[in-house]
This record gives sequence, structure tokens and C-alpha cells, in this order.
Amino acid sequence: MEYYLHLAIITCIYLILAQALNLNFGLGGMFNLAHVACYAIGAYTTAILAVDYQYSFLICILYSGLVASLLSLILGAISLRLALDYFAIGTLSFSFIISALLINWKELTRGVLGIPGIPRPEIYFFDLPSFNHFITIDFSSNYNFLILVFCFAVITNLIFYFIFKAPYSRALRAQSEFVHASQTLAINSTAVRLWSFTISSFFAGIAGSFFAYYINYIDPSSFSLQEMLFVFSIIIVGRPGSFWGVIAASIFLVLLPEGLRFIKILEFTNEGWIWIPIPSSVLGPMRQFLYAFILFTTVYINKGVLFPTQRKI
Amino acid sequence: MDILPQLLINSLITGSIYALVCCGISLVYGLLRILNFAHGHILMLGAYSYYLFNSTLGINFYCSFALSFIFIAFFAAITFKVFVGPFLNYNPILVFVTTLALSIMLESLVSIGFGVNVKSLDAGELLNSVEIGSVYITPIQMIIISSALFILLLVALVIHKTVIGRLIRALSENSSAGQSLGINSHYVYYGVFIFGSLVAAFSGIMLAYETNLQPLMGNSYTIKAFAAMILGGLGNLWGTIIGAFLLGLVENLSIGLDFGGYSLPAGYKDAFAFLIILLILVIRPQGLFGRTYRKA
Amino acid sequence: MLDIQGLHLTLNKLHILKGIDIEINSGETVGIIGPNGSGKTTLFNSISGFHQSNDGKIIFNGADLTKLAPYRRARLGIGRVFQNFGIFREQSLVENILIALETKQSFWATLWPWSKQNRINKIRALGFLRKVKLHEKANEKAASLSGGQMRLLEIIRTLAFGADLFLLDEPTAGVSPKMKAEISEIIKKLKKRQKTVLIIEHDINFIYGFCDRVIVLDAGRVVMDDTPENVRKNPKLQEIYFGTKA
Repeated sequence: MEYYLHLAIITCIYLILAQALNLNFGLGGMFNLAHVACYAIGAYTTAILAVDYQYSFLICILYSGLVASLLSLILGAISLRLALDYFAIGTLSFSFIISALLINWKELTRGVLGIPGIPRPEIYFFDLPSFNHFITIDFSSNYNFLILVFCFAVITNLIFYFIFKAPYSRALRAQSEFVHASQTLAINSTAVRLWSFTISSFFAGIAGSFFAYYINYIDPSSFSLQEMLFVFSIIIVGRPGSFWGVIAASIFLVLLPEGLRFIKILEFTNEGWIWIPIPSSVLGPMRQFLYAFILFTTVYINKGVLFPTQRKI
Repeated sequence: MDILPQLLINSLITGSIYALVCCGISLVYGLLRILNFAHGHILMLGAYSYYLFNSTLGINFYCSFALSFIFIAFFAAITFKVFVGPFLNYNPILVFVTTLALSIMLESLVSIGFGVNVKSLDAGELLNSVEIGSVYITPIQMIIISSALFILLLVALVIHKTVIGRLIRALSENSSAGQSLGINSHYVYYGVFIFGSLVAAFSGIMLAYETNLQPLMGNSYTIKAFAAMILGGLGNLWGTIIGAFLLGLVENLSIGLDFGGYSLPAGYKDAFAFLIILLILVIRPQGLFGRTYRKA
Repeated sequence: MLDIQGLHLTLNKLHILKGIDIEINSGETVGIIGPNGSGKTTLFNSISGFHQSNDGKIIFNGADLTKLAPYRRARLGIGRVFQNFGIFREQSLVENILIALETKQSFWATLWPWSKQNRINKIRALGFLRKVKLHEKANEKAASLSGGQMRLLEIIRTLAFGADLFLLDEPTAGVSPKMKAEISEIIKKLKKRQKTVLIIEHDINFIYGFCDRVIVLDAGRVVMDDTPENVRKNPKLQEIYFGTKA
């Protein structure tokens, strides 16, 4: 049961993270490789604020989002005027700078050792009639935490559903397809891109915050390039810009490698040939391989419809 | 001040490795306007295939060199056929995605095959450092520097003096013009891609002797090559190679020199390359030696 | 209305526009012709703001455009129809029109999908589509349209956007003869509405029908600026197009 709770919580976190990237990369066509860096920033903000300063849950979440979106605003101001491949390199280098900081800025992030002991959130309510004592909701059990993160995932996805239906998304898609034509319709393409960048980073930060609260312990290895590739495969498998597609793909792709646990391989031991489960040292790389393979096949099949080239004047 | 000559030699070594890695990636970008993210992983694969032939199977130096070169040449051809070729007529970012996927696949396959732990080659005599003046240098480092110079000279000769070079330059400037001359541009693409991969594999083997092998080694070289490319101007081969040496210099000086009693921790060495990319993108997106730049 | 004074433009070290002086009055329909490479499209691009001019001024309704970003110029009322179709193929027809109607809203208003303004916009957008008889395809992707229909959609989108000056870049390129007539109809309608129209066109006979003036560009300079009859009679035209004296 605990195991299924774990899977459900992870799925909810990825629903927030992937849908946020979908706005930026799926609709806006920006090849944003700094998304996981923003996720990491959110997680570390929460970890530092909650462990070192004992800030409460809602403040931590808010700050995580704000710090991530603020940093992405700076990055966006630098890189959003760049062409596609330059933009990819710029955001990639930003994410490498963040991971170098996470590893080396030991006073703040404790380096590769990571930050342990992040407390699970608690929410206090005043007892209404008397106002003299609190009612505490404690999220230390996974079951309660799942309800919390599920609510947030639903709220986030609702917000994105509105944005996807709203006029703003049309402007975003228009500038990704033909930026000059969108400018002749008075769309300020730089501002439109910058907003989508900021909004997605904000929610990436919130997803990171939940991740930190859930795992209780974070270290730089959770936010590697492989993680970035995984989020990208979610978007590409679910069709960039498709709201429901990305939801389905995040559920599918989070649960898919769990199937690997049931695969048995034949191995020769002193008792002869026997079927054993895949050892965990192989399971990790196999999972990465699977994602990369799925990403490649999806791109191969959909190469004609994924990311149309920006038209030139 | 007595460590300065040593630092300069060290940066020359780092710069040579970067220049070798950049060479292929920049030639391919110049021809096809694509970023090959798996280039550093081909370096890693070259090193591991050499490790397999030399250390695991015990084949001698020259044969395993030749065998791993043949292997990498085949592998590069297959990579081009499967991961690059089908996507050339579409958005160039697709190749970035597919080679990113390829790089992760390679990394995981090598991790499964060889384990994630650090491996090292038995270099023997090659690692005994020699003192020349006030600097220490190992024979393998001398090989790296001299072979880098040799390969770069060779590239310069081929690009600027031969028919193939003129073809490559014509295709870099305008692929449709090259094709209308009746050139089968695909052969040129294959040739350049395989050549770049072989150079990368060579530097991988040198690196394996110089330091060690691990499945994660590819990533950092790809991104360093990107940094050098941005520094010198995307698609500008010689600018990129100067950028590679500059990058080596900056990295070694930044952690080697102390700025008034304070020196940067060695861990920030890598971050420096990325900081340079961002700075250049702010100040001069076309690179130090680039001329034109396409706006978003 | 539009006043271009001494416009110079250099692109990739090529001197393309060499001192263009044009004055367009409000409500005029002006054709621009000239051989390939004479700088017609580049002129349009510099009016829309995609190229920064090296020298000279562009004044539109009293406002100096020279340093303005493209979207700010568009806000002043300059509409553009692109040679290679400026519609958004991945979006439906009605969405294409909606984009043009929505740009006047504030940013926060564009984040909310179910406002009253949006409902009004949708009705208006369908009205615009009806004008060019494309309302039956309103929810299909614009990529499914034929070339001529794409042009009609783009022109009607520029009208919906509320442009006063229309820059039409070869509206009949790649369009069937039947659609050509429809496009010329819609240009005549624009003229009736007192819109100012600038048309680049290769098919000279197409524009003689409704243009007030024809400007001939050659090698980055204005060589003729006269009524269509006088331009047609002028022997220099043949010389420019065919390089021979008539």
C-alpha cells in the first residue's frame, strides 16, 4: 500500500512539473532546458527555509515559486531574445551553473551531502468558536500528504487549463509558429515569452517544494540532466501543447518503469540457471534507457508534426 | 608567480582536448546547423571501446586503437543514419533532442555494461612526469598537445587547400548552392560526421590515459564544446578552436591563481564555462569571432 | 499618412535600399512593382520594423516609426500580409481572427478564458469569416485551406485587427485565377472603406484595375511614381524588366 501511495505522490508532483513545462515548451516552442534547474531551486529553497529557519509550509511553497520565477526572469531577460539553438545552450548552461552551485556552495546547500531532515508540512487552523487553540492537520503520513499534493496538482492543472483556453495561449502559439506575423498583430512576442517562462518556473518551483517535503532529503543528484530528459519525454510523448496528452503521458511514463521490476532475467548460479529480478544497479540505467528510447521513437514517428520550423520573412 | 608556467601548460593541455572535441562538433554545425549533443558521449564510447579491447580483452596497443577506431567509425555512420539524417529537413532542434536521447542511451548502456564506477587504464611509463625548466609534464600530455596540433593542422590543410575542403566550405555557406553544383552532399556529411567522431574518440582515449574513464564523462565535454562554440561563434571553426584554448586558459587560471589571498574552489572550474556562455550570450551573441547572428 | 524620407538599408553588407522617398496619402491604393531583388519586400519589412534602417525616417500619421519595435508599429495601425502566408497554420480559422481581435486587451485579461469580451470577440470573429465565406470552416486548422483562401483569411484578419495601412506582399502569388478575382474584390472593398493599401505585385495587369498610383522600384531606388496609365506607357518600364530598350 505504501508503495502505491509513493507512486501516486510522485505522479502528482510530475503532473505539476510537466504541465508547467508544457506551457513554455509545448505551447511557446521555447526549448527550455532550465526547467529542472528551477525545480531544483524550488526544492532547495524549501529545504533551506524549512530546516534552517523553520518557516511554515505555505510560506515555503510561495517562496520556492517566487525564487524560481525570479531567477528565471533574469535568465529569460538574457536568453529569450536568442534564436532557438542559442536559447537551448543558454538555458542548458544555466542549469549546469545551478547544479555546480548546488554541489559547491557548501555553506548554503551542504554540497553533495544534501539537506536531510526536511519536516513534513503542518497546517494550523484556529478553532473558530473560541480562538484559543489550534487545530493541526499533520501531513507526516503519506496518505495525508497524497491528499495535499493531489489537491495542489488539481489546482495547478486547473490554472493551466484556464491559461490553455485563454487568449494568452493563442498569442503564445502564434509567436512560436511565426514570430513576425504575430508582431504585425501587435503581439509583444518578448513579453509573451517572458511571461510563459516565469509562470512555468513558478510552478516548477512549487513542484520542487513538494518534492523536498515528500522525500525529506534532497541532494544535487536528484536534479540531473536525466531528470530534464524525463520531463521532456513526458511533453513529447503527450504531444507538445496538448493539455490532456501531457496529463496522460505523465501518469503513463511515471508508472511505466515500475513494470521493469517484474521482469526477470536468467542467471547462472551455483544452483544452476535460475530466474532472478533485475538487480537495482542495472534498474536505474535501464529506466534511463527506456525513457531515452521512448523519446527517440516518439520524435522519429512524429518528426513531421513536432515543432514546426519558425517561418522566415 | 612561479606556478604561472605550469598553469599555462595545464591550460594548453585542457585547451587541446577541448579543441579536439570542438573540431567535430563545430564542423557538423557549420555544415548542417545542428547541435550534436551526443558528441561528448562518442568520446566516452571511444574511450570505453579502447578499454574493452586493450584492458579487458588484452589486445595490444596498436590493434586496440585500430579496432576502436573502426568501431567508432561504424557507430558514427549508424548514428548519422538513424539519429541525424531523418531529421535534417525539420526543425534543427529535433536533432538536438534525438542526440540528447542517444547520449542518455549510451550513458545507460555503458553503465550497465561496465558499471558506473571509475575505471582506469594502465598507462605505465606514460604518466611519469618529466621536469622541463620549472614545469612538470607527462609524456601522455605531450602526446595530447602534439597530436592536437597535428590534427588541427591537418584539418586546416584539408579545409583550405583541397577540393574536399572547398566542397565543405561551399556546403557550409549555402547547402542548396552546393547541391546544385551536383555534389552528393550526403557523402560529405557522412565524412565530416565520422571524422569528427574519430577525433573525439581519439581524445577520449587520450583522456582515459590522462585521467580515467567513467560513463558520465561525456556530458561535461559536450557542454564545454558548446561553450567554446558560443565563445568563438557558432559554426565558425577557427573561432571555436581559439575559443577552446581560451576556455582552457580561463578555467585553469581561475582556480589556479589566487586573487588577493582568495582562490576559487576547484569545484567551480566547470561552472566557469557555463558562466562564460551566459556572459557571451548577453554581450555578444554572435561570439567573439562571429560575424552574423540570427535573432529569435 | 505614410511618409518615407531618404530610407537607406544595408543587410549582410548588401546595400538594398538606397534612399527611398515615398509619400502615401490616406485612402490611396498604391501598387509597387519592380524586378526581383529591387527591394520591394525589404521596403515592407522596414516599414513593419523587422529591419532597422541605417538612415532615413519613416513617419506614419505624424509618429516617427524609425526606432519603434514591430509590435508597437502594428499598434499604430500598420497591417501586413506576408508573401509566404502569415496565417498561423496550426490554429483554427476562428482562432486566427481572434488573435487579431485580442491584442487590445491587457495582459491579465488575456489569462481568463470566459470573459464577456471573449464571447463578443468570438461572435465578431465569425462575422469577419462570413465576409469571406469561410465561416463553414471556422473550426478547421488553417493549414487545410487553399492558397487563395489563406490570403483571404490573412487580409480579413488584418482588417479585423483594425489596421489603417495595409501592406500586401504579392497577394496573388500561388493563387488560382478564380481566387484572384475574389482577392481583387476584397481589395476594392478595402478601398471603399477608405483604407490605405500598398500592394507589391508582379502581375501588372492585376493592379492596373484599381490602383491610384504605381511606384516602380529598381535596384533600391524609386524610378517612377505616376498614375498606372503613364507608367504603362513609359518605355523605361520594359527596360527595367527586360534590360532592353523597347
